[in-house]
Amino acid sequence: MTAAATATVPVLDTPMIEVDHASKWFGDVVAVSDVSFRIGAGVTALLGPNGAGKSTLLRMLCGLTPPDRGAVRILGADPRADIAVRGRIGIVPQQEAMFEALSAFEFVRLAGLLHGVEDPVAAARWALEVVELDPDDHRSTTTYSKGMKQRVKVAQALVNDPAIMVLDEPLTGLDPRQRGHMIELFGRLGEQGRCVIVSSHVLDEVERFGSRVLVVAQGRLAATGDFRAIRDLMDDRPHRIRVRTDRPRELATELVARAGVLAVRLESATAGRAGSVIVDTNDASRFRRAVAAAAQVADASLFEVAPLDDDLDSVFRYLVGR
Amino acid sequence: MIAGHRQPQAPGVRSGPALGPVFIAEYRLLLRSVCTVGRLIAIGLLAALSFLTAVAVALSDPFDPLARGVGFVNGNIATLIPVAVLVFGAAVLGDLIDDGSLVYLWLRPVPSWVHVLAAWAATVTVVVPLVLVPVVVATAIIDTSPELLGAVVIGGLVAVMGYAGLFVTLGVRFKRALPWGLVYILIWEGFVASAGKTATKLALRSYVRSILASMTDVTLKLGTFSLAVGIIVPLVAGAVALLYASRRLAKTDVA
Repeated sequence: MTAAATATVPVLDTPMIEVDHASKWFGDVVAVSDVSFRIGAGVTALLGPNGAGKSTLLRMLCGLTPPDRGAVRILGADPRADIAVRGRIGIVPQQEAMFEALSAFEFVRLAGLLHGVEDPVAAARWALEVVELDPDDHRSTTTYSKGMKQRVKVAQALVNDPAIMVLDEPLTGLDPRQRGHMIELFGRLGEQGRCVIVSSHVLDEVERFGSRVLVVAQGRLAATGDFRAIRDLMDDRPHRIRVRTDRPRELATELVARAGVLAVRLESATAGRAGSVIVDTNDASRFRRAVAAAAQVADASLFEVAPLDDDLDSVFRYLVGR
Repeated sequence: MIAGHRQPQAPGVRSGPALGPVFIAEYRLLLRSVCTVGRLIAIGLLAALSFLTAVAVALSDPFDPLARGVGFVNGNIATLIPVAVLVFGAAVLGDLIDDGSLVYLWLRPVPSWVHVLAAWAATVTVVVPLVLVPVVVATAIIDTSPELLGAVVIGGLVAVMGYAGLFVTLGVRFKRALPWGLVYILIWEGFVASAGKTATKLALRSYVRSILASMTDVTLKLGTFSLAVGIIVPLVAGAVALLYASRRLAKTDVA
């Protein structure tokens, strides 16, 4: 796990996407700054707030825009110059617009045909069924909901059985069941050896995609690797832990004297629930070892010791705010 | 491979799509996309207006129908045909660039010239029946002489094909292609082209007028080129423009 702006982190032994010190700017605005990474098969989440440079980075990966500095290689080729490699990429772009004159089936079949798929009709039917859409629905996609349009976009990205899938906020507009279905689908595609890169600014989504994350903030790569490991890396960051006990005041008094404890706050008991001590510590593992001894001294029973910030949201806030 | 789908070709041996079916598919797509109801009605009304003008001309003065027919065709070639080609030609790829759906053509293993050629063919296909055919029929109301009808058919086709090359390119090059195209048609071709020989050579209208003048032996202002030059130059200009558009599209930033 690395949390560094320009670190090159080999995620897998056989990289399918290689980004080498890539930068992109629009006038005075630096959209992507000196980003390097390599990723291989499996699902990788690209995480960052709106305007962080995620979409620009994804567009560079597909060759839709060239880096102003540095290089991007997809399956060893330059996607900007080598049109053959485009046949190995499936993209779900962020924009909603599709070809309005076409039905979902016609749209996906066209994608298959342009990719040179042997049987575009069968491939289109299959791709639409994978995303749970009816291939025999002849309505124009203009009549579709946002979630249905997203699924059509995913279907056209699947139709050529790509080695690389670049998905820009693909879960936008989907209902919870469809989100679950898509996350499961992307996971399956990754397990089958495809390189699936999914962008999102919704942190709980990324947590569900899997553990591999690229965090982009202000155009820079803020961190790469397993998101749980990002937390472990940041031992200098205060962690917040809830300790539920029958004697919160006594335990708090005992804990506050322990090394590594930065702050202690009491939460009073509510109906049916014991009181709690909320502890800020800069050494979570040391605290976990110390809390049992402190409870013994305070003659307190421990009902729960749980981190309050062990999610991607807190990791992300920390990385962006550094 | 996801269960239920046939086995794809192994990585690295995919040969890419056959360009013939790809061209036809893109041509059909672009034709359907560019033919919005609004555009068809607007240009259709202009064509109808042209038809009514021809009827009025035919009824107003029985003297020298050939000259009046040439004047009528000249007026249509000066305005109606280029404006119609502009409306469809600039939009055929320009709309896809504007709304971001170009990515669904661009990110395919297909050379950019296929997209551009399909756009040009779609533009010609919609303008010929919508505008050129009514103009030819309207011309026949004024005068049925073979030289005039031949001139309007050949001159009209050359104009549609040449302007289509220019305006498809304009749609690829500029975000606001429509006003730029109108500036070219109304300001450059309408006024600046009369200012000097170089300006005349840079106006497609001069060559199409030369076709009319050559085939009908009616003298037309700016129509001073030979028939061969009048036919070849607009077609070459359109082809060069399409080549530029292909290069431009290959290098463009796609949203």
